[in-house]
Amino acid sequence: MSFERAIGLIAGAVPTLVLVALTASGPALAHHSFAMFDHVNRVTLAGTVTRFQWTNPHVFIELDVPDAKGGARHYSIECASPNVLMRGGWKFTDVRKGDRVTLLVNPLKDGTPGGMLEQATFADGRTLGDSNPPGGVFQR
Amino acid sequence: MQTYASAGLRSPHMAHRVRLARPMDPACTGKTLASLLSMALVVLCLASSQAGAAGVGTHPNLNGTWAVYPSRTKGPPPDPKLLAPPPGPLKLKAKYAQPYEAMRAAQRESDRKGEPLANASTECIPNGMPTMMFPIYPLEILQTPGQVTIIAEAMSQVRRIYLDVPQAKIDEVPPGYFGHSVGHWEGNTLVVDTIGVKEEVLGYRDTPHSDQMHIRERFHLVAPDVLHDEITVEDPVTLEQPWTYTFAYKHTPGYQMLEYVCDNNREYVDDKGVTRMRLQNH
Repeated sequence: MSFERAIGLIAGAVPTLVLVALTASGPALAHHSFAMFDHVNRVTLAGTVTRFQWTNPHVFIELDVPDAKGGARHYSIECASPNVLMRGGWKFTDVRKGDRVTLLVNPLKDGTPGGMLEQATFADGRTLGDSNPPGGVFQR
Repeated sequence: MQTYASAGLRSPHMAHRVRLARPMDPACTGKTLASLLSMALVVLCLASSQAGAAGVGTHPNLNGTWAVYPSRTKGPPPDPKLLAPPPGPLKLKAKYAQPYEAMRAAQRESDRKGEPLANASTECIPNGMPTMMFPIYPLEILQTPGQVTIIAEAMSQVRRIYLDVPQAKIDEVPPGYFGHSVGHWEGNTLVVDTIGVKEEVLGYRDTPHSDQMHIRERFHLVAPDVLHDEITVEDPVTLEQPWTYTFAYKHTPGYQMLEYVCDNNREYVDDKGVTRMRLQNH
């Protein structure tokens, strides 16, 4: 997005005359802000993996979670990137279609069935964390 | 792929240090001379097993992979003496300061509401210069004769720094993400000048710039395995005074860069400029 376009988007925003001291020293750039996820009201999802995508910019776990009526609700769960997960001990074979997994998730604030992974318990019982910024802290 | 570990080197800097640590002894016998020669051969073989060793010459060896220091997620506490110094003050000209601060305020407010404004990386567009030099994923530096190449793992970004040649004229450089970079060594410091970054490619902390911008960089090792890139942005159109800040990196021996193709970007920008996540239903 161009600077001009960005300014156009926020035209009418409260003008600020003083440049405040910028203290952010990192992390540098995440792929996107994590502000769309609810980092306080976390949920645990236990279900069956329908797809595991070891892809950039994010790894995704597609999950069917059984509901009380005998059906299932489908969730798309965003993880960190493959390189971040690898450095955190993950392997691209850790999750497979059909696996039963339990995911601790920061759900989307808009209520749609998706979220950001915080921690995964794999079919073999191992538990690994996601490596996104702790608590969803994100600085531009 | 040859790694430093498999070449028997703890770091790419070791070969350089070993080379310097072997002065010729005028009193040495033929036997020790032969021994020294064979050792030198071994050192040369080890050195030539590294990418770009031939281009290093007497200059510091920056070859290898580097991660922003200190690590944001793990690792021992950083050595305060090796950290990047705090950034200097950003002084935008009045015409740019007010819209810039309004944009930053809007970013903070949209984040607070959980409806983050999109930026270039949301759309998998490369960071470009100079922000690619402050990445969450590693950088790889390759020194070859006449050129230093820097590869960012994030989005597989590449910049090429041509050594000991004049900078191009601004109207010879098509505006792009990485610009046109030339460099030379001043002692142990690699000095680089970059022009030709297009205005849509925002600077560090989303700062605006003009087509008159120069990015001046000074790369130097502050420890055998810690590199600093001191960046000074000069822009007579947008800045009241040059803006200097420094990025620090730690060498990551043996790390092999990963590919990064953004082929599953689920984030998208809605008609209000807000970032959303695309869901799948199966």
